[in-house]
Amino acid sequence: MTPSRRTFLTAAAALAITPDTAFAARAMRVASDWSLATADVEGDIAPRVLQRVHGRVPEGLSGALYRNGPAKFRRPGGSSQHWFDGDGLIRRFGIHDGQATLAARFADTPKRRQETRLDAMVMPGFGTAADPRAEIGSVDDVNPANTSVHKVGDALWALWEAGSPMAMDPDTLETRGFVTLRPDLKSMPFLAHPRIEPDGRIWNLGVNGNQAVVWRLAADGALEDARVIPLPRASYIHDFTATARHLVIVLQPWVHARNVMPVSTAYDWLPDQGTQVLVIDKDDLDARRVFEAPAFGFFHLGDAWEEGDGIIRFDVCTHADMDFAAHGAQDILNGVPLGAAPARLAMMTLSPDGQGRLEHAGAAAEFPRGDARRAGQRRRYSLHTLGEEPDRPLATAVGVTDWDQGRTHGYDFGAGHVVDEMVHVPKPGLSGEADAWLVGPTINLREGVTELHVLDMARVEDGPVCTWRADVAMPAAFHGNWVAT
Amino acid sequence: MFSIPALILAAALTLQPAETSVVEITFDIGAPEGVVMAALFDSEEAYDGGGPAVRGVRIDIAGGERIARFEGLPPGDYALRAFHDVNGDGEMNTNPFGMPTEPFGFSNNAVGNMGPASWARAHFAVSGETRQTITLR
Repeated sequence: MTPSRRTFLTAAAALAITPDTAFAARAMRVASDWSLATADVEGDIAPRVLQRVHGRVPEGLSGALYRNGPAKFRRPGGSSQHWFDGDGLIRRFGIHDGQATLAARFADTPKRRQETRLDAMVMPGFGTAADPRAEIGSVDDVNPANTSVHKVGDALWALWEAGSPMAMDPDTLETRGFVTLRPDLKSMPFLAHPRIEPDGRIWNLGVNGNQAVVWRLAADGALEDARVIPLPRASYIHDFTATARHLVIVLQPWVHARNVMPVSTAYDWLPDQGTQVLVIDKDDLDARRVFEAPAFGFFHLGDAWEEGDGIIRFDVCTHADMDFAAHGAQDILNGVPLGAAPARLAMMTLSPDGQGRLEHAGAAAEFPRGDARRAGQRRRYSLHTLGEEPDRPLATAVGVTDWDQGRTHGYDFGAGHVVDEMVHVPKPGLSGEADAWLVGPTINLREGVTELHVLDMARVEDGPVCTWRADVAMPAAFHGNWVAT
Repeated sequence: MFSIPALILAAALTLQPAETSVVEITFDIGAPEGVVMAALFDSEEAYDGGGPAVRGVRIDIAGGERIARFEGLPPGDYALRAFHDVNGDGEMNTNPFGMPTEPFGFSNNAVGNMGPASWARAHFAVSGETRQTITLR
């Protein structure tokens, strides 16, 4: 048959791939690839033994990796509209006597109780509007306790950023209740990224527009001091950092502009204002200096340190803007690719001339961490995730950047895994910065289960020295910490 | 036989049953300290701050009191606001960012939506004797 002009056109029409259809097809492919990362978990995960599927258990590795992240987003009567607004599921990966175990429990928050009763997600949050049915008498009524978890004294604190810590039992993961550090400070915000000095002292912020409370706690969680300080601008602050002597508060040009909910709609991106860095003396919170830096957005910083001549350095994962916060993390929840550049690892140098300069390492990286023993002191390495792409804003790899050599080493688990933040676990009896294991989970998308991996930091590119596999899948988590036992 | 004064009295009772309505609120509180301050309103406007309370009461929690009894009320819709002045300084204390640090509550145990409970959630009809237990948290 000789194709007529008409049949040719019809065939072309049938095959036509418009940008819209290509986008939709890609969205479906990507969603099916990594939808487990933002899937719902219907209930607590009973303690279970993990199956070792690769390598050998490193001798001397003993403790628990606690992690926190949202794991319930959708209910018949209404769903969360943003990745940051799901209910916090606190995971405990235990490693003892060569055996690994897993248990996980949701923080039993007023939010979760109310939403369970209504069978609808009704609470406002970072990117979710309030449902008229929501009953909100205090900020902790909307607290999902979903961002990080720290061992403080004899408790786990599941942390959010706009409300109180939620105390839980470190062994059973049973919820104890919100922590009020002093009666007159009830319901004050407490960020999910406290900075811990090597001796255990805890510094943190709680932010309210252009003011912040500076928390100082003893290692056991006892309040030592809390003072409200003014900020030069009302930036969105998810994380701050600290040297041994100074608090370092990075003020990105995503600035609070209006009192509306959800949070993400209250900020304007104002790149012309650049980024400011407020440096405050830990011993005198009135002694402060503001540094000026180019505009960038960010969520996460590494620990800072001071060098001679008044120079301060810290690692940071920078975004070109905060579109991910405002929109991208909504898209993730709905399985739609972001199409925007992932964060990139950089070193910030604050100089005595009052300027802050960024030097990018070249890697697309997130969740920067370091050796906790060196918090506030000079260090050589950053530990971070790698492998995020515009179409897949979840990591496939773990990396170690060596700032002395200017190189990033990594291990790529491949597109079949979603890689969580990993933690730095010192090898017993050794003090070198790289004498450590990297411990963290991935979601094995092909098997549909969560895995726990241990890598040797000095040979990260060799991949896991040991891998265990669970019989369940848990969604991607945000942050956590290792507790050696 | 009914006397004239008796008939007048009967008529008065029939026309003004209002004066016999009673609201009794039992407060469920945490610490047995300080006082509970409560205000009863008979309109949305007044409840929202646009007018006075019809009654106000101070309950001596430290002294063992738990119940506020408002007698002789006309029938109608009412709503109540209360807070537990735990330290007895006469104010509803707030944290440095303005959030309440002392327990509070509203009639119907209503809760707001990022603010005080609305009249729509907190109001209740009063006729005869009406009892509620309100948890202050």
